[in-house]
Amino acid sequence: MSLLGVESPDFLEILAHLDLEVLWHPSLANTSALQREQLVQRILTGEQHLDILCVEGSVIRGPGGSGMFDTEAGRPKKDLLAALARCARYVVAVGTCASFGGIGADGDIEATGLNFAGQKKGGFLGEAFLSQSGAPVINLPGCPCHGDVIAGTLGHLCANTVPSLDAYQAPLEWFGLLVHQGCVRNEYHEYRVEERRFGERGCLFFYMGCRGPIAYGPCNKILWNRRSSKTRVGVPCLGCTQPDFPQPHPFFDTPAIADIPLELPSGVDRAHYLAYKSMAAAAAPERLKKRQTGV
Amino acid sequence: MNKTIQVPLNRVEGDLEIRAELDDDGRVTKAWCAGTLFRGFERIMLGRGALDGLVLTPRICGICSTAHLTAAALALEHIVGAVVPPDAIRIRNLALMAEHLQSDLRHTFLMFAVDLVHPRFQTSDLWDEAVQRWAPLRGSTTVEVLRETKKVLEIIAIVGGQWPHSSFIVPGGIASVPSSGALQQCKHLLRGYRTWYERTILGCTIERWQGVRSHGELAAWLEERPAHRDSELGLLLRHGRKLGLNAAGRGPGRFLSFGAFDLPPDTKLRVPMGARQLINPGFVKDNQVHPFEQEHIAEHLAHSWAGNQACEHPAQGLTRPYATGAEGEKYSWAKAPRYQGQVVETGPLAEAVVAQSPLFIDLLEREGVSVLLRVLARLVRAVELIPAMECWLNEAGKHNEFYIPPPSLLHGSGYGLTHAARGALGHWIAIEDSRITHYQVIPPTTWNASPRDNDSVPGAIEQALVGTRVEDPSDPIELGVVVRSFDPCLVCTVHTVNREQPLGRIRVG
Repeated sequence: MSLLGVESPDFLEILAHLDLEVLWHPSLANTSALQREQLVQRILTGEQHLDILCVEGSVIRGPGGSGMFDTEAGRPKKDLLAALARCARYVVAVGTCASFGGIGADGDIEATGLNFAGQKKGGFLGEAFLSQSGAPVINLPGCPCHGDVIAGTLGHLCANTVPSLDAYQAPLEWFGLLVHQGCVRNEYHEYRVEERRFGERGCLFFYMGCRGPIAYGPCNKILWNRRSSKTRVGVPCLGCTQPDFPQPHPFFDTPAIADIPLELPSGVDRAHYLAYKSMAAAAAPERLKKRQTGV
Repeated sequence: MNKTIQVPLNRVEGDLEIRAELDDDGRVTKAWCAGTLFRGFERIMLGRGALDGLVLTPRICGICSTAHLTAAALALEHIVGAVVPPDAIRIRNLALMAEHLQSDLRHTFLMFAVDLVHPRFQTSDLWDEAVQRWAPLRGSTTVEVLRETKKVLEIIAIVGGQWPHSSFIVPGGIASVPSSGALQQCKHLLRGYRTWYERTILGCTIERWQGVRSHGELAAWLEERPAHRDSELGLLLRHGRKLGLNAAGRGPGRFLSFGAFDLPPDTKLRVPMGARQLINPGFVKDNQVHPFEQEHIAEHLAHSWAGNQACEHPAQGLTRPYATGAEGEKYSWAKAPRYQGQVVETGPLAEAVVAQSPLFIDLLEREGVSVLLRVLARLVRAVELIPAMECWLNEAGKHNEFYIPPPSLLHGSGYGLTHAARGALGHWIAIEDSRITHYQVIPPTTWNASPRDNDSVPGAIEQALVGTRVEDPSDPIELGVVVRSFDPCLVCTVHTVNREQPLGRIRVG
């Protein structure tokens, strides 16, 4: 759904500009199941090139590794996926579930990501997996993944280049920055002017469970629906791009000791951060404390 | 000799395969709806924080994420009796309605109408026109629908940060404080959408369409102007009638609405006397509207792998995957919800019938339930929604109060009932020590696509398929049309097998 939200150019224009032929998509393609079955056979025999395989959703292996919780025509879908992944020039995991396992990862369904199980490399396709081009699985996490990220990655792959990737195999261009970067509430964070209840306006990091300074993603750079982001309207970042999503502790709450969050902004030294924040709070300007900016 | 057929639907709410038996004439004599995906969402919720449903349940579905968020928040508010400020009610309604506008049109033109351009339907002299407008990825209407529905969703991003999957609706109101500039932007977007919807979809103003109140008036409206005949609605009605869709896909003839869109106490919106919601709750049986009571819901499991218990109310019901591995009585991961033990259908048509809309009651009496009636109800739902959205946008922000902190969510149980685009949606939750101890969701497709119940009575789609004539069993497109008319939010594949021998399969959506 987020892909349909791509703007200037829109989704249909991108397909045309990149000269991309959609061989099959669950809701957009209009081929019959018989044709699809024949298409799969042509791919598996090498008669039809599969340049890019995009996978949405986790790989469901339950119960007991059988994959029978997710079948088609009585066969586990995971087997089809394994076969197609071997033929594809590039494999792209779209969304957090396909990248890391996501919501069903530790549940009955024994879900996993394509090339990661949470933070651990491996996943369904195994640690050594490389696609036909020699590139690893490209992860595009997020729930949902931003449409521009999908479109931009497809653009790279159509030009036969692999974008620079981080340790979780996600493109640095979109996952090298924090959700915090570009948030209009940055000044509140800077001077530790906190929000303790919804609608108060303030930094959501200290009490409301915001993971913006911890989670990597372009939400506040390229914005959603060309308009806004959760943190811009007072909804904490839920860390939906992270390998541990959904986090084990309750949402909308920041685990803390003595009012200092247990989890600090990515890469920050605890002692220095403590000193910096207490001084910053003392220096907070009145206009900010009184929320005169209305942000 | 009988043959058998199947329909898998995608993972939005669980994949679904339909099996159907055909007689010598190619007519469906029996059908079975089988959910083929188990996601275990309800069990994932157990032990999590009380508010976690606001984050996880919207992710059940990429197209009705705001509906799940609404139900999750209402269920928590029900536990503690939270008060929601009127302006927050307005903004919540506005967002969920924008999601409906988007979903109704994307489903109709990107999923349903795609079937009607199948070469099988060249029997209609409007087929060429249909192909030009509705062909996947390139039809002129397809392109416009993508563009316009994308724009209307910006309303949700403005008040809620993003679509899909925001969590801005919280117990006690909404997390955001929309500025007057933000509300202005929403008004412009809505105005633009109305203009396009009137010109392209209806071919007339919303006010003119409101004057169509009977079968006769609908026929007269079609003849009145070329703009009416040539609108998307006009073409769907004319092409659909030529294909006999006004006599296909009957269904159970009983309708259920949970009710949705609470009215702000101080609104000037004109509604029927005594109404508390824009969409009335109710149960229609034998053309009589009865009050809706959630206590009368029970989920049957005789034919479901989701458990091995008898039937249960969702406040008690558990999900314990029970896979025997053998094809026996059980054939679906979906449960079979029943209301007062009855099979019902839900969705825009159910809403119109429960509201006793004169046009739909008249059409129902003259022609009965059909594929075309369901599609008509879905396409004109915006006629109810847009004026309410306009009214509430104009009223919003006067008090500038969008959130009242609710009492602490420590213990208790509750439920949240609303409508997703495709019908009645309910969440049932219990919490202890601020942790979730029980979570059950009944999405609308579970009503419509349910398997047989404990008395072996087929579900709504299973019933609607009976009598459908399939011309080519290796490509049973006609079944897709019937299934799609329920907007199952799912992509389907139809398998045709002759006894155990596969003949062919088709994707119907």
